[in-house]
Amino acid sequence: MSYFFPIIIIMANYRKEFSKIYDQCINKIYRFIFLKVSSEEIAQDLCSETFLKGWEAYKNNPKIKNPSAFLYRIARNLVIDYYRAKGRTQFVSPEVVPIIDPNPGLEEKAVLNSDLGQVKAVLADLKEDYQNVIVWHYLDDLPIPKVAEMMDKTEETTRVTLHRALKALKEELDKREVKEV
Amino acid sequence: MVTEKELISKLKELRQIKPEKEWVSLAKTSILGETPGFYLFPFLKLPSASEGGRRKFTFFAPALAGLVSVLIFFGVFAFSQNAVPGDFLYSVKKIKERSQSFFVSEQERPQASLESAQKRLKELTKIAETNQGKKLPQAINEFQASASEVAKSFSKTEGIGSNSEAIKKIVELDKNKQILEQTLATKIETEELDNTYKNLAEYLISDFGTRTLTEDKEEVLSQMKELAKQEKYLEVLELLPLINE
Repeated sequence: MSYFFPIIIIMANYRKEFSKIYDQCINKIYRFIFLKVSSEEIAQDLCSETFLKGWEAYKNNPKIKNPSAFLYRIARNLVIDYYRAKGRTQFVSPEVVPIIDPNPGLEEKAVLNSDLGQVKAVLADLKEDYQNVIVWHYLDDLPIPKVAEMMDKTEETTRVTLHRALKALKEELDKREVKEV
Repeated sequence: MVTEKELISKLKELRQIKPEKEWVSLAKTSILGETPGFYLFPFLKLPSASEGGRRKFTFFAPALAGLVSVLIFFGVFAFSQNAVPGDFLYSVKKIKERSQSFFVSEQERPQASLESAQKRLKELTKIAETNQGKKLPQAINEFQASASEVAKSFSKTEGIGSNSEAIKKIVELDKNKQILEQTLATKIETEELDNTYKNLAEYLISDFGTRTLTEDKEEVLSQMKELAKQEKYLEVLELLPLINE
C-alpha cells in the first residue's frame, strides 16, 4: 500500500508532462497526417492513435530524447500502414457510386479550385520525403539541422532535398495552371 | 507561374489547417484520462517532474483528481457508445475498442474480431437506415477493415474449423451483410473474408472426409462437397451443425 501513492504521483507527473507534449504537438501532427490522407475523419483517427501509442511508449520511457520527432515517426508509420491496408482492401464496388455524391458541393469546389487547395493537392501528390521536408521546414518552421535529424540525413542532403521538393511542387503547380488555361 | 517566394508564402498559409478544438480536448481526455478537474480545483495541481516535488501537496489531491478523471472518462465513453463513423465521438469509441483489444488473447481473437465486425455492420445499417449518405463511405471502409481482421484472426488459429460456435457467427455476419447489401442495392467487397469461407469449407470437408460417419452424415458431407463445387462456401458452413451433432 505504501508504494501505491508514489506510483500515482509518478504517473500523474508523466501524464502532466505528456499533456504538455500533446498541447505542443497536436496541431502539427494533425496537419502532417491530414496533408497526407486528405480526410478529416481519417486524420483524427490516425492522430489519436499516434498519441495513444506515444503515451504508451512515454509511460515506459519518459526520457525519450525528442518526443516531437518520436511522434512524427509514429504518425509516418501509421500513415504507411493505413495506405497498405487501403491497398489491400478494395474500397467499394462501382455500383456504390450513386450513393456517394460524385459532385463536390459548391463550398468544396471553391476550396479545391482555390490556390491553397491546389497547393495542398499537389503537395499530397509529392513523394514522401519531399512532403515531409516541406511540411517540417516551411509549415512547422523547423531549422534545417532539425529537419536533417528527423530525416536521418546530413544537412547538405536535406538542403538539396528541400530545393528539389520545392522545385517539384512549383513545376507541378505550373503544369496544372497551364492545363486550366 | 508562381515565384518561389509566392509559393513559400502559400505553403505557410497551410498552417490554417488545424483540428477542431473540441476534438483535440476530447481526444486528450480519452488518451490521457486527463480532466478539467486539474484546472477547476487549483489545489489539486501536482508538481511536475521538473519541479521535483519542491511544493508540498496532499495525498488526497491525486486521489480526488483521479476520481474526477475516472468519472469524466467513463462519461465520455458511455456517450461514445452510440457514435457511428463520421460522428464527433467515434474516434473515442475506436480508442476504447483498441485499448480493449490489447487484452484479448490469441485464442479469443476470432471471437473478438467477429464481435467487432458485427458492431461495424450495425453502425453501417444504422447509417443506411437513417439516410446519412455522407457517413456511408467511411462506415463501409470501417466494416471492410474489420472483415479483414476477421479473416486474419481465422487464419491464425488452429482447429477453428471445428469451432461450430465461431462458424455459426461468421455465417450470421454474412447473412446480415447480405441484408444490408439488399438495402443499399450494392455489393460490399470483402475479398479476404470470402477467401476465409472457402478455406473453412475446404478444411471442414477434408476433416470430415477422414472420419467415420453415419449414413445421414455421409449424405450431409456429399451435399457439402456438391455445394463446394458450386463455390457456395457459405452454404457449406451452414451445414456444419447437421454433421457436427
